[in-house]
Amino acid sequence: MFVTALRPENEIYSYLPIPTAPSLENFAIALQQIPAVRMLINTFAFALGSTMASLLTAVLAAYALTRWRFFGAKLAYAIIALTWLVPFQVVMIPNYVLVSRLGLIDTITALVLPNMMSAFAVMMLVQSMRSFPAEVVEAARMDGASDWRILWRVIVPNLRAPLAALAILLFVSAWNEYFWPLLLTRSPETSVIQSGIQMFISDQGNRWGPLMAVSSIACLPVLAIYIVLQRQVIDSFVQAGLR
Amino acid sequence: MHRRSVLLGALASSVAALPFSRAMAQSNTSIRFYNYNLATAGIGAEATLKMLARFGSENRSVTVEGVGVPVSELMGRVQADMVAGMGPDVAQLAFTGLSYARDYLGAVALEDAVPAEELEAHLAGMIPNGARLGKLDGKTYALPYVFSTPVLFYNADIFRAAGLDPDTPPKTWEDVRQAAETIQTATDKTGLLTGIFGTTAGDWLYQGIVRSAGGQLMSDDRKTLTFASAEVIEGLSFLRSVAKSGAMQPVFDTGAIEAMASGSVGMYLQTSAVQNSLLRGSAGKWELRSASMPAFPGHDPMPSNSGSGLVMMTRDPAKQRAAWELMKFLTSDWAYTVITSEIGYLPLRPNAIESEEFLAPWIRENPLILPNLDQLTRLEPTVPYPGPNYAQIMQMVNGAAELAVFGPSDDVAGILTEAQRQAQSLMP
Repeated sequence: MFVTALRPENEIYSYLPIPTAPSLENFAIALQQIPAVRMLINTFAFALGSTMASLLTAVLAAYALTRWRFFGAKLAYAIIALTWLVPFQVVMIPNYVLVSRLGLIDTITALVLPNMMSAFAVMMLVQSMRSFPAEVVEAARMDGASDWRILWRVIVPNLRAPLAALAILLFVSAWNEYFWPLLLTRSPETSVIQSGIQMFISDQGNRWGPLMAVSSIACLPVLAIYIVLQRQVIDSFVQAGLR
Repeated sequence: MHRRSVLLGALASSVAALPFSRAMAQSNTSIRFYNYNLATAGIGAEATLKMLARFGSENRSVTVEGVGVPVSELMGRVQADMVAGMGPDVAQLAFTGLSYARDYLGAVALEDAVPAEELEAHLAGMIPNGARLGKLDGKTYALPYVFSTPVLFYNADIFRAAGLDPDTPPKTWEDVRQAAETIQTATDKTGLLTGIFGTTAGDWLYQGIVRSAGGQLMSDDRKTLTFASAEVIEGLSFLRSVAKSGAMQPVFDTGAIEAMASGSVGMYLQTSAVQNSLLRGSAGKWELRSASMPAFPGHDPMPSNSGSGLVMMTRDPAKQRAAWELMKFLTSDWAYTVITSEIGYLPLRPNAIESEEFLAPWIRENPLILPNLDQLTRLEPTVPYPGPNYAQIMQMVNGAAELAVFGPSDDVAGILTEAQRQAQSLMP
């Protein structure tokens, strides 16, 4: 990808492993022809908003499903699990009609709205909380801690590794989202970077050089976040494997 | 009595024209324009933005919101936005979806929205074969906008390397077969690729093949599919023989464009709209040339058209007026000068082609467009399938044709006849 991004236009289809005259021209074209920086900011806001909202709703739902005994708890969990199996394309148009009636078309809020709850995140955190030592929770309760305090002061700090892993998965998933932003946004300035990449693809031939340049740029934030959080991610998977 | 009839007629005309005239006087009309060129980066979007900017400066009372939608998502997006109550006022729609747009999305016939003399005057400035592209049952549902015809691109360097004369390109499919076989024998290059088939090909080029073979896709009343006729079977059997000889390879879609652009293919039959991609790949590497669509034995080539027309979707008189002004502007001599010289589509206005003020100097410097211009006189409009299943019918017909040419069975007639029987059941 990086090598193709550095190739000049008439060398795009060359079989040579390295470009004979590498240049940053494709990056310049990409930045000139689409508002890539604006799109990256939009994508970051969308991905971060979706991730934070999904984590919050998943933590609350998982706590309720694992620590409270109430009528229909199993059914509620089963329904949440079933929604995970429904492709987003099925509910995309009803969601679109809803956000358009709310007057939110072409906004980051509308992008985030259907992604504020993730069935996958709930299921993953339910598993993590089920394996959390009940004795610790009971000890906290005997000390007079409320559910809210137990959740945020006892459980969440001890679930940092799975939460970090989940955050990365949710962030990458939102970062790579294409259809929902494509349906919702009206101009390149309000669009996300995945739509920007698509703009170099057409029936009349793909612009591989700028496409690879903007793809390279789009990969960097996700790569940076993974590098920062990789310790927590590895810990999470190691713990899952040892359990 | 006669005088009274004339007066009554004039009064009726005035009343009929009243909403449109009153709408003209209104100011600050805002319209939404869905455009697939705006959804791409580079020349298509830049040229469209340039045209919209000039329209805005010349029509201060009209605000155009240009919405870029990828062509593959266009029809779905129009439907979704109509459900949400915010559909387009004007949409750039592919001709293949025109019937669906009329019957299911409420596309407005220009004859029902625009004063007859204005419409007549504007269409009169267009090439007659072009002006009829957007017509269905005698009414104009799309004002032809950006489109092109099939062109046989060829690599002059490969021709020379194979001992062929690049100054006398193939004219018939038999010539194409011989040239392709010579290229494959004399060089390590691919002889021929085409854009007839493939997942993103649509059916416009295949329709040109059908018409060039002497057949037609459906009856004139648009009720019965007829693509399994003896003429089409004969034409596809000929193409099958070319494919079986190895002269034509089953490489489609962007893979074929890229193979041609990389300089490893002798000939490539495809829309002229890929010209810029091929020019970018050939720059400084090899010589790109173009020729007309090849003919089948005993028939004249009848090129079809790719591309799209501008469709009026709004029913509001003020917006219809603004939409018509935009549609006229985007198909004016000046606009076609931009569309042709900057994007690569065909100009539909003879005045734009011949005038020194518009395209004449550019055409002299860009001879690759000449075969495309030459084909305008023989142009056969792409026929949209009727009914809500138009896309499935198109896939079925194209799939059968691809199987007939490249599949394992030599029973071309059987494949086409069975596909015609199945596709007919999807017709309204």
